Amino acid sequence: MKKSLLAGILAIALAVPSSAFAAGTPNFSKIKVALVPGGAHPYFQPWIAGGKAAVAEFKIGGTVFNETGEWDQTKQNAAIDSLAAQGYNAFGIFGVSPSDINSTFASLKAKGFAVGSLASCPGGYDIVKEPQKNSADFCLSTDTGKAAYLAAKSVIAKMGGKGNLVHLTGNAVDANTIRRMDGVKKAIAETGGKVKLLTTITDIDTDLQTATKAVSDLMAAQGTKINGIVTTAYNPAVAATQSVAASKLPIKVIAIDDDAKILAAIKSGVISGTVVQNPWGQGYVGSWVLSALGSKACTMKTPGLYTDSGSFLVTKANLSSYNATRTAFSKALLKSYQTKYMTCK
Amino acid sequence: MSVASKAKRVISDQRVILLALTVVLFLFFGLKNSAFFNTDFVLYPLLRDGAVLTVIGLAQLCALSIGHLNLAVGRMAAVAALAAGSAYQYLHFSLIPGVIVGLLAGSILGAVTGLIIVKSQVNAFIVTLAMDFALLGFVTFIYVSFTGATAAFITKPKGMDYWRNTSLHQYCIAKLCGPSVFPMMLIPSIIALALVGFLFARTKLGRELLATGSNLRAAKLSGIPVDRRVIIAHTFSGLLAALAGVMLAFTNGSFTAAIGSQFMLPSFLGPVLGGTLLVGGSVAVLGTFIGTMLTLVIRQGLSVQGIGLETLNIALGLVLLTALSLGQIQKMLVSLRMRGRG
Repeated sequence: MKKSLLAGILAIALAVPSSAFAAGTPNFSKIKVALVPGGAHPYFQPWIAGGKAAVAEFKIGGTVFNETGEWDQTKQNAAIDSLAAQGYNAFGIFGVSPSDINSTFASLKAKGFAVGSLASCPGGYDIVKEPQKNSADFCLSTDTGKAAYLAAKSVIAKMGGKGNLVHLTGNAVDANTIRRMDGVKKAIAETGGKVKLLTTITDIDTDLQTATKAVSDLMAAQGTKINGIVTTAYNPAVAATQSVAASKLPIKVIAIDDDAKILAAIKSGVISGTVVQNPWGQGYVGSWVLSALGSKACTMKTPGLYTDSGSFLVTKANLSSYNATRTAFSKALLKSYQTKYMTCK
Repeated sequence: MSVASKAKRVISDQRVILLALTVVLFLFFGLKNSAFFNTDFVLYPLLRDGAVLTVIGLAQLCALSIGHLNLAVGRMAAVAALAAGSAYQYLHFSLIPGVIVGLLAGSILGAVTGLIIVKSQVNAFIVTLAMDFALLGFVTFIYVSFTGATAAFITKPKGMDYWRNTSLHQYCIAKLCGPSVFPMMLIPSIIALALVGFLFARTKLGRELLATGSNLRAAKLSGIPVDRRVIIAHTFSGLLAALAGVMLAFTNGSFTAAIGSQFMLPSFLGPVLGGTLLVGGSVAVLGTFIGTMLTLVIRQGLSVQGIGLETLNIALGLVLLTALSLGQIQKMLVSLRMRGRG
């Protein structure tokens, strides 16, 4: 069922190129899109390529990537303000603080800018049920709970449906982390007690050194008890990959994202797979939607709408083809915005 | 005192040098890119952020006045925001009572910190560092336990957005309105500056705090109750940290565990650039505001020029180093001139 659905999406995407949209192609030349992550993190780097691809394909006025927020909401607000002063008029933002970013979105909207929440939605409410509470025009982000569930299901399958599982993740007081923890717990609950959550280690996505130390300590203390590790944050994923390879213990690992080390480890069989997200698609689709809103060519049918930017399980079997699948998914998602989620002139 | 020697004294004042440097950089960035003079996107937010960071600088200044460091200023701000946020969320407090709850929480934490330092005789650096760790755990635990996936207290009391968005422009006498560049958030900051300035310049308590910082033994021998002064200095530090925490929550829009996590460095930068001694005994209250504004002008000025993260931090570091060295350079020039005359 899932395969046929994906095949359908791919067929639509390939049959109707996104640039073929529009009876009259909207003029985006006056739109300058600013893509603003919360700070420097490898996850956001594909935003640059995604934004540039959209600029080239849709003749958008320009794009900039600004990571000077340094994971401080005040600094991020200052960075956004300075971009607005420089003439950028459409903003794709990953808010440092999910509970504060709505205030920033509201301020930007009040000044007439197009605003999209990328890679994370404002916190404090269920965005699927109450999109109107999102002060941005839309939210395009990984369904983190779903991605974590997918990863946990996959590692449980590799463990043979039983044993002890460890979850490595990011900031404990981040709403996305809490959704990830819920996703993992849901997959474990479905085993009816055959799989036990040995421990959840949080707050180790600050840098690779912190993550590596935490994983090394874990392996030294409980390595022989662990049957599987699911990681739902970038640095712990790289650290777990390296530690499992070094320990030579028969631990099944499902990582996250597609760092070169992780992909190499999948290829050599050290880890079972990874769940990749779609930051390129967030930059690409987000830039088009922001341009369409900023130029007043389109409006959102449901203001504040949430859409999943996609998560994909990558194993040895689809290592060479997942990127094409992900790009096609992005193009199909763009088509959905153009035809289903927005009303265009 | 002659006019010439008065002028020489003004020119050699570190605050004057700092102010001149801030104005020069301000004009430089504005002339290089006029976007820097944009009221809505640059100047207003710059002053609003400056208001918050000045208060956290004053919190550190109170500890520095007695020769102590308060490494827990950020976490004290977080606890104050937590206390105010929970009062709004669960007790449905209105704006001012909630702020008072936050300030009380910060003051109590400061007083407890001072008490621990006095009773244990352990260095303030160690005690406040330990306090920082303990409060980090406490704040995280409370948010995770009570707020679930939100990880924040999001109830906004009536009037909270006013402090985030409003300028003095809203207020007019006859047809003359206040400047739109002046954020309302600057008012609590100015009050704090005035009170702290008055404390150190005009009161016996202020002089005793500085005497404690200058030479603890001499202060003790001259009859100053130094233990009580240490507790009072840390209580003031906690109180001002709490004010900064609540102001930041108002500025950002909610009460989260992240409040204050970025306060440590700015809390030192403002006072030290302004001329406050790290070893105690001398404080620069107005200098704290100027020092804070200097760092913000540099940061935002470079940001408006479109400079990337790495270059921005290198440039920020270099300009701050130059600013800190200015006093030293000036002393060297004066001594060279004296030698030339001699």
